[in-house]
Amino acid sequence: MAAPKSCALWSYCGRGWSRAMRGCQLLGLRSSWPGASLSARLLSQEKRATETHFGFETVPEEEKGGKVYQVFESVAKKYDVMNDMMSLGIHRVWKDLLLWKMRPLPGTQLLDVAGGTGLAWVLGDAEELPFDDDKFDIYTIAFGIRNVTHIDQALQEAHRVLKPGGRFLCLEFSQVNNPLISRLYDLYSFQVIPVLGEVIAGDWKSYQYLVESIRRFPSQEEFKEMIEDAGFHKVTYESLTSGIVAIHSGFKL
Amino acid sequence: MASLLSPVLRRLRGLRRLPGLPRLAAEMPLRARSDGAVAGPLYSHHIPTSPLQKALLAAGSAAMALYDPYRHDMVAVLGETTGHRTLKVLRDRMRRDPEGAQILQERPRISTSTLDLGKLQSLPEGSLGREYLRFLDVNRVSPDTRAPTRFVDDEELAYVIQRYREVHDMLHTLLGMPTNILGEIVVKWFEAVQTGLPMCILGALFGPIQLSAQSLQVLVSELIPWAVQNGRRAPCVLNLYYERRWEQSLRALREELGITAPPVHIQGLA
Repeated sequence: MAAPKSCALWSYCGRGWSRAMRGCQLLGLRSSWPGASLSARLLSQEKRATETHFGFETVPEEEKGGKVYQVFESVAKKYDVMNDMMSLGIHRVWKDLLLWKMRPLPGTQLLDVAGGTGLAWVLGDAEELPFDDDKFDIYTIAFGIRNVTHIDQALQEAHRVLKPGGRFLCLEFSQVNNPLISRLYDLYSFQVIPVLGEVIAGDWKSYQYLVESIRRFPSQEEFKEMIEDAGFHKVTYESLTSGIVAIHSGFKL
Repeated sequence: MASLLSPVLRRLRGLRRLPGLPRLAAEMPLRARSDGAVAGPLYSHHIPTSPLQKALLAAGSAAMALYDPYRHDMVAVLGETTGHRTLKVLRDRMRRDPEGAQILQERPRISTSTLDLGKLQSLPEGSLGREYLRFLDVNRVSPDTRAPTRFVDDEELAYVIQRYREVHDMLHTLLGMPTNILGEIVVKWFEAVQTGLPMCILGALFGPIQLSAQSLQVLVSELIPWAVQNGRRAPCVLNLYYERRWEQSLRALREELGITAPPVHIQGLA
């Protein structure tokens, strides 16, 4: 594996994903109806009405995938501008830090799930990836795993498609560790963000779902345990911005 | 939490099932809110909001409506978040009038599903129904583009503002105003005087910002005085059961309301 270009890669780091990925085999996975097909099969076998959360609502499990799909159909057009407005551009710093941790080199086989768009992309389901076992060096998912109906299945799939020695990296909203900041964050999330969504994108409900789904996601420790349950080792996490987001990392041995 | 919910529960028990009324609040999913705001929606599409959210929405929608005049949804949001007090006054005015009280009771809606377009088409020339249909055709608008009310925290007042929105096209027909920017501003002035809704007043005052000097001149010297005069002279336009007056001659209705012909023909302007 050639190393000389690594210095050049770092200089591109601050300018965004695609440039930093130059030289790596980057495959982006656009999630379609995460979990919908799989959970429908399970339900017909078990004949049991299982429910799950959709933000603060409770919905039949087989409906969640479709509802999440609708949310993202709705927000797609103004996705980037809304991310900038809501986080005041800080989401770019978080993503840069993820890349920095990853240190991708030319020749790295990287899979970015729920990426939306990318250099070469494939449509698939995070709970049932259309790839063979032991294929990728790095699996990343940024702000995507929160929306998957069966997170444990997505983690298992991540484990399956990684090569031995491969690394799992997840950037996701997490729990704020400081009580004062937590109150300010809650105030901002529930009072301001849906208003921003309505004014900028004409869509209150999707952004209400966004802030509610963040509250529903497991804490740093809980998520670490889930990653370990999927078979990963040396699982660590790093909280950013007082825990508003966290980067979780694990290795397949 | 219980003390926050009890006004909602009282309102739930007070609801009557009326034709045209959206689903009862009791059938709505209740959502727990971490900010402690009122939980249950009171009508279909209702999004309960805190005072802070309403203030932010009002400011944001006003700014966005000025920045992007094609965001009609922002004008609607501005109306809903600033209109509560005025809507109460309008609702009381409707209650005191026999025709208005019937409208509140029966809650008619104007949409392609509730209008019998074939029947309107067959009405004689010069009748309200025929002229309303002509207005829709000529200006290529549909009665279905009115967004449902979302941010009014009272289901009767939500209907009042919905009715006001659906009656807007009637006002265009009554005043003989086209749907270009100048025509819309004139109708806004009429509505501002008639309803007192803050959104109408803001729209009337800030709408002209983007007009040419020539249009502004005509607006200020002729059209606004005419609109204001007619608005003050006419009885409350929300008290007209338009759906029962389709056959009435438009001219007769204008006379009844004291609405005179516009001072200038503005189709070519703006």
